[in-house]
Amino acid sequence: MDNNKHILVVDDEPDMVEWLTTFFNDHGYRTTFAYNGFEGFEKTLAEKPDLITLDITMDKESGIKMYRKLHDSEETNKIPVIIITGVSPELKGFIERRKQVNPPAGYFEKPVEKEKLLETVRKLIG
Amino acid sequence: MENQFRSYFESMPCFLTVQDRDFRIIDANNIFRECFGDYEGRFCYQVYKHRPEKCEDCPVDRTFRDGRAYHSDELVTTLDGRKVWVIVNTTPIRDESGNIIAVMEMSTDITEIKLLHKQLRESQERYRLLFEEVPCYISIQDKDLRIIDANRLHREAFGTSYGSKCYEVYKHRDGECQPCLVRQTFADGEIRTHEEVVTSRNDEQMNVLVCTAPIRNGDGEIEKVIEMSTDITQIRQLQDKLTSVGLLIGSISHGIKGLLNGLDGGIYLVNTGLKKDDRDRIDRGWEIALRNVDRIRTMVMDILYYAKDREPDWQNISASELVQDVCNIMKDKAEKLNINCTCDIADSIGEFEADPQAARALLTNLVENAIDACRIDTKKSDHKVQAALRGTSSHVVFEISDNGAGMDRETREKAFSLFFSSKGAGGTGLGLFISNKIAQAHGGKIIVESEENEGSKFIVELPRKRPEKLRKEKQS
Repeated sequence: MDNNKHILVVDDEPDMVEWLTTFFNDHGYRTTFAYNGFEGFEKTLAEKPDLITLDITMDKESGIKMYRKLHDSEETNKIPVIIITGVSPELKGFIERRKQVNPPAGYFEKPVEKEKLLETVRKLIG
Repeated sequence: MENQFRSYFESMPCFLTVQDRDFRIIDANNIFRECFGDYEGRFCYQVYKHRPEKCEDCPVDRTFRDGRAYHSDELVTTLDGRKVWVIVNTTPIRDESGNIIAVMEMSTDITEIKLLHKQLRESQERYRLLFEEVPCYISIQDKDLRIIDANRLHREAFGTSYGSKCYEVYKHRDGECQPCLVRQTFADGEIRTHEEVVTSRNDEQMNVLVCTAPIRNGDGEIEKVIEMSTDITQIRQLQDKLTSVGLLIGSISHGIKGLLNGLDGGIYLVNTGLKKDDRDRIDRGWEIALRNVDRIRTMVMDILYYAKDREPDWQNISASELVQDVCNIMKDKAEKLNINCTCDIADSIGEFEADPQAARALLTNLVENAIDACRIDTKKSDHKVQAALRGTSSHVVFEISDNGAGMDRETREKAFSLFFSSKGAGGTGLGLFISNKIAQAHGGKIIVESEENEGSKFIVELPRKRPEKLRKEKQS
């Protein structure tokens, strides 16, 4: 079960971080977390996770900015990103239509269907 | 020659008669005969008016008396009973010595003209009635924007006096509005509409939809402009309400999604904790679930308060008891999150006039926000929330401060805006909006001091006595 793949959870809501990290741990993934985009990008550079789950509306630095930075950096642009957000569904279309960045590897709206989330993660990193 | 005049006489397009001094008809033309029949031996008044004696005011009689021409309007009746309005002209006929031997009476049928006059008068009256009674404000203005006519509603609402300038009446201003629809319509003759806010004689603000149209004279020149304004205040108010209801629903759904997510997370931890027999995990999950249930409760209370727009239920309440109450409720919550919650109440603050439920909701909202700000702050490990109470002779002052995440300038400035939330999926943007609304409804205010990463302080100042203005508003 334990494949030792590493997921970085970025969300400013501690309850959400607690849940996602526990959930991924329960399914054999190693997790770290960050509470904002700035911290998230720093940790990505330092830890090189296999996958990132990213919230959009966060204090300090938003998920959008972090997503852009991940895309622009050679070191990070291959890491799959799953966006998990409470923002309205229009955002999905908006992000996917941007020419400057690639569409995210996955997109989930809160409340998250955890089975589907796990399925997506497994498809992406095994 | 005589034959020629005879033929003119016969073919004149009016009733022609010649009468002697007894008003007996001694000659008449074709049209007269066709309409009034045989005249031989009969009197004018018999034939024309079907009456047995001479009319009181008779133009023929007057011409016989002084030899001058006279005219009058008369209503006559034809042989078949048709009423005909005629204009009568009389001319004396003299003999060689100049004596008047007969009078020629020429009666022209003006029934249609009379009818048109009548219709015109009726139509004018109808238009006047419409102008007066139509349920919008109508004024007619000259080139100097002077009101030269106004309907009843206009006069009643604006106390219009003729000759005063439009902008003085509508907007209580000294100068012309820019741009001015009436001026534009004078310039190009186009019909224009625009929404304006005007002020009535009672100083009430009204949203009106103004429409201007040119009034042209016979030569097609624009002499006046008619300005019609419809009161759409209620529509605007309704629209504002609907817009905010729409925003509210969007915001609530968004908030509920976030809270459901929190509940999902809590339940997951509890369930998996039970399976693994992991007590710590169960506790953590239960905490998350409780926290989100609490948030749902606060949100529902906020929504109810927002939706009801309720009048404060004024009572004299003890300021220190109120703060103590709020602190007691919050203490448990804070301790579970390792936040130190203290209450600093100065002596003998006494009572103040307020709605106890609303005042409690106000303070609870602020303390909950303070706890949240500490919970999400990852920069510090030692967090505290403090509630303090001070009093002046005129006010009670509550201070809720925390050393949590703090706010940047933008967040601070928008803090009281409806539907603005910095809590992502966790907030509805109602809490502080409502707290502020409650403070205002009590004649008080909330002041915010906050620094990012340092913490926030909310200072609530409420007057001890309900302000006179609020007392009057309630009475009215």
